[in-house]
Amino acid sequence: MSTPAATPSQSRWIVLDRIRNATQSVAADPGQRADAYAALPRAYLRRGALSAEARIKLMIERLREYDAEVIESTPAALPAAIAAQLSASGKRTFVAPEGMPTAWLASGFDWKIDHNLTTAEVELAEGVVTAASCGVADSGTIVLHHSPAEGRRVLTLLPDWHLCILFASQVVETLPEYFDRCPKPPAIHPSDKDPSLGTPAIHPSDKDLSLGTPAIHPSDKDLSLGTPALATTISGPSATADIEMTRIKGVHGPRFLHVILVRDEI
Amino acid sequence: MSHAVASHPILDPTLAPPFPQAVLPVLRNPQLRKNVSHAIDVIQAKRAKLVAEKKDWQELRSAASAIRAHALENLGAYLEEFETRCTAAGGTVHWAADAADARRIILGLLREENASDVIKIKTMTSAEIQLNPFLEAAGVNVFETDLAEIILQLGDEEPSHIVVPALHINRSQVREIFARRMGLKDLSDDPHALTAAARTYLRQKFLKIPTAISGANFLIAETGGVAVVESEGNGRMCLTLPKTMITLAGIEKVLPRFQDLEVMLQVLARSATGERMNPYNSLWTGVTPGDGPQRFHVVLLDNGRSSILGKPKQRQTLKCIRCAACMNACPVYRQTGGHAYGSVYPGPIGAILTPQLMQMHHAQSLPFASSLCGACYEVCPVKIDIPEVLLELRSQVVNQERKDFARFFDPMYLGLRVANLLFGSSRLFHASQRMGRIGLRFFTRKDGWIHSLPSVGGKWTQTRDLRGLPSQNFHEWWAARAAQTSPLSIKEAK
Repeated sequence: MSTPAATPSQSRWIVLDRIRNATQSVAADPGQRADAYAALPRAYLRRGALSAEARIKLMIERLREYDAEVIESTPAALPAAIAAQLSASGKRTFVAPEGMPTAWLASGFDWKIDHNLTTAEVELAEGVVTAASCGVADSGTIVLHHSPAEGRRVLTLLPDWHLCILFASQVVETLPEYFDRCPKPPAIHPSDKDPSLGTPAIHPSDKDLSLGTPAIHPSDKDLSLGTPALATTISGPSATADIEMTRIKGVHGPRFLHVILVRDEI
Repeated sequence: MSHAVASHPILDPTLAPPFPQAVLPVLRNPQLRKNVSHAIDVIQAKRAKLVAEKKDWQELRSAASAIRAHALENLGAYLEEFETRCTAAGGTVHWAADAADARRIILGLLREENASDVIKIKTMTSAEIQLNPFLEAAGVNVFETDLAEIILQLGDEEPSHIVVPALHINRSQVREIFARRMGLKDLSDDPHALTAAARTYLRQKFLKIPTAISGANFLIAETGGVAVVESEGNGRMCLTLPKTMITLAGIEKVLPRFQDLEVMLQVLARSATGERMNPYNSLWTGVTPGDGPQRFHVVLLDNGRSSILGKPKQRQTLKCIRCAACMNACPVYRQTGGHAYGSVYPGPIGAILTPQLMQMHHAQSLPFASSLCGACYEVCPVKIDIPEVLLELRSQVVNQERKDFARFFDPMYLGLRVANLLFGSSRLFHASQRMGRIGLRFFTRKDGWIHSLPSVGGKWTQTRDLRGLPSQNFHEWWAARAAQTSPLSIKEAK
């Protein structure tokens, strides 16, 4: 209305020029910038001190504090454990990610496998079963990278009931330990137009991706995950405290979170 | 005087009254003050407990502070890196020099989509640029999806906090708003029922409206990723179901690397809501085929930020990650709530951010809305020395004012000029003390205190008493003592 509209390229130039003027004192050399970054203080706790057993115990305890229901199982007993959880839920229709192991599809239920299900179809499901990428014991957090076994984001969002299969080998104690499992992405080439470089984790063929393969192999020793293009961290069911700071469980996301912790190591 | 109490709070710093005036309706509203202090007490207690259990809290703060400072020092390079990566991943990056620019860009994108409705994730940055009224005026229906934002939108209320924006409204007030606007006559005031009403109200909107607007908690330069931190799942709904996503982010939101989130997420959740981790964090990178919005735009907003960046003492303001720990800890905010700050950014961070975003042309009273107790600095997870910036801004405001000819005879500036003269000369200083002693004797009661002074002095004595001047000053006492005591007796005393 008052000032004439700047063209998009003008605005970009104006903002970047202002920033350059404001940070003139700092060297712009990428090498020096990398050195300065490497020298940043990081004296916080990287690795946890708990034993493997205590780490799993803590993960379970923290999940339960969020009102998640947790049961333990073994790789051999997992299909039966899944079937038992589904039966106990009293629900019939479930969605499953495209890459979920077929052994997890318990019989006697209506399964809708996500071969590009519409939103409306996902909305109609009563529950969902998925794998996960990582568990962080310190905060009881489950990390999804939305690989084929974890499913598209919509699957773990619309159904009211989520059963998540987490392996003990996927559980770390601290948040930095999770990030240590996500190796650095490739160096940046400004001319690089290949979007796949920025999205390593969603390609099932990616060599780094132990979890992207349909069958999760409990004995797989390569736990590296790749830096995710998509990630969702879940710490308990959705909640709000917007009314008088009273914590209310279940606003828009799933109201019920169930976890089967599979003892694949220890 | 009742019109002042009923007045709607103004959160536009160019129009808002100065803090001491804006605070009066709040101070006369006991319900509001009770709601605010209750909410603050709950968050404070939860935060204190979870920070205490974190053995490496100070190390996390130091790292968070250093990462943010480094990102700001190299802001241009990191923003360009973000732009390159985000574009490579299928996103479109737009740059907005000011609020009008950002509003124009967003409306243009909505027009391209033929969007008549839009759903929104809570973003204070959009409130900063007054996006909702602008879009509504342009014929776009805006639906807020965060519970607190729904309460504000339906109740025609204004945010008073940056994390829990409706904390000044209690359950019975929420019930009244929802019953009226959603047509639910029998709604109870149980927070469970109120939350369920909001869930039902929004579900179809999430499923049907194909365009969404979000803010951003972090932009990752290394990957071109964007992170949104939330609790309710409304963010995930908006980030997953629509066809088009428009993200509005301040230019200062960038982090160098993905791994920096390992620090930021730990300090943010504990500081903001007193949780080990908030229920949901979402990270996405451009467009992912088959999953989520297939058109993605980021609008990078300057709107005064680059001018803050250029000032060494003030640059730290931009380290802020909007956790609101400072306002929760602030004794002034606790008494006043957020509306008195006349900005969408209240509390200590608002007191330094708002006048700077206004380039010191508005909101000059805010740097004085503090007792300088330092509680905000102590809790800040990115170690912004808010008191230092407050003092710097105060000196700028004073320098502005005293150059103003209209304030030449302002009692304060007049007094300070006189004081400057007196303190510059011991002869004048002693003379003024003698005169003051005579003059103040008239106001000094028998107990040695002055309870009431006229004129400018009354501003002090209306809230506190003043010690009367003693009959002798130190110099006079020392001289008198030396005359009475011989050098010999001093030696004996030793």
